[in-house]
Amino acid sequence: MAVVYLACPPSPEAVAALAVGDLVYLSGEIVVTGGLPAHKRIFEYLDRGEPLPIAMEGVFIHLPHMVEEQPGSGYLIHYANPTTSRRFDQWMPRLIRAFDLKIVGGKGGLGSEVAEAMAEAGCAYLSLLGGGSPILSEAIKEVLQVEWKDFPPHFRLTRLRVENLGPLTVGIDARGVSRYQALEDDAQQRLPEIMAQLAARREAAQAADGTGN
Amino acid sequence: MIDENLVQEVSESLYSAALRRVPPDTVRALEAAREQEELESARATLGLMLRSARLAESKDSFVCSDSGVPTYLVEIGGSARWQGDIKAAITRGFEHLAETISPPLLKHVNNPLTNERGGQGKDMPSISVDLIGNADYIDITCVPKALGSGRWASLTTLISPSLEEIEACVMDAIMQAGSQHCPPVVVGVGIGGNFDLTAKLANRATYREIGSVNPNPVLAAMEERLTEAANATGFGPMGVGGGTTALAVHIDYAFGHGYTPVAVCFNCWINRRAKARLYSDGRVERLF
Repeated sequence: MAVVYLACPPSPEAVAALAVGDLVYLSGEIVVTGGLPAHKRIFEYLDRGEPLPIAMEGVFIHLPHMVEEQPGSGYLIHYANPTTSRRFDQWMPRLIRAFDLKIVGGKGGLGSEVAEAMAEAGCAYLSLLGGGSPILSEAIKEVLQVEWKDFPPHFRLTRLRVENLGPLTVGIDARGVSRYQALEDDAQQRLPEIMAQLAARREAAQAADGTGN
Repeated sequence: MIDENLVQEVSESLYSAALRRVPPDTVRALEAAREQEELESARATLGLMLRSARLAESKDSFVCSDSGVPTYLVEIGGSARWQGDIKAAITRGFEHLAETISPPLLKHVNNPLTNERGGQGKDMPSISVDLIGNADYIDITCVPKALGSGRWASLTTLISPSLEEIEACVMDAIMQAGSQHCPPVVVGVGIGGNFDLTAKLANRATYREIGSVNPNPVLAAMEERLTEAANATGFGPMGVGGGTTALAVHIDYAFGHGYTPVAVCFNCWINRRAKARLYSDGRVERLF
């Protein structure tokens, strides 16, 4: 379990060196959104061959955020916290390939098809702490750009400057090795054993209470 | 006398409190889990959760960005003296909070018929009412429900099931949720009753204090072994591995009728909930 301080945009080599379970702190510019509508709109831009109004510099995180515009003085970030990434499974492979993403993140992981696209692109997935808003929000130092203001704040496409955003756990590495898939496979494989243990405990309890319940 | 103003004020402050603090029983359970957890990375994640809880408390900030859908449970004692439109007062409490709270809430609510987003929706906040014997008070519990405390709930109807079949049903729901619901969670299970009662039993079971012992010995034993089984799955804190997937499994049951619905629901690690007791003389006691 290495601790890695990663500057954004990260080099392909630095991302390739990450292993599942490593703890990462990100510093630099990242692009975030929390919404399905933003993903749909990104696809519309891709379909039209039009560049996004925000430059994707290799880091794209599912991070709903409350940002308010301060007249004359830019933006104020109130809080940010990750959302469940698997909701975006169907959108992510094309996004990763189109923007050559190196780091994606959120919580709960991404599916196996996305992991394949990540392996092709040399992209790693970082798990942010759900319910980590007080810790994560402190690491956001500046809101650099907010686009698609017709969406609610958490669905917009926002570019942030962060300092030591973390610790974030590497959940899927740049070779497509997924901690989530491994845990799911492992749990499925051990399920008969878990159920047998449960049965043994149940039978012991039923024998003790003598009711057969 | 409990009046509309008092109910409005309490409803408003309960929702705000639920968003800003991890309840004391949950902090204790997370601390105990960190002591017992064998995997170093999982211990680190549990430590991070505790840090987030402390920071939220000291900075009076939200623990999570998703304020969810507020649900209120109103339990009315038979000797409580109250006057006015309690339901309207709770709704006003929530609406006033949504307009004035700092920092502002994100608008996570949608109209399921159009997917249009907003801060309000039909029948929101969700308010349910129960009668509780002859008590001299009204209890109000506020639980904000977001993805980790709503999305992975399930209800299955079994025919005269054995305990083995019921437990298999609970394990199915736990396996389905996997890494997704911001574990370690509290698992609520309802057995029996009919559709709405079963779901209610499961939901209310998540409100129970962690560490409290089920008065029914059959269920107490079932809770213990299912907690062990949930933790044996290995999904761990935030679903990235470890021996702490459930802080507790809480079970309640009601009458059966040949067919037995089994409901399973979850509350994410923050286990957001806040409860107050409003006495007939106007005193208010915060219970958690």
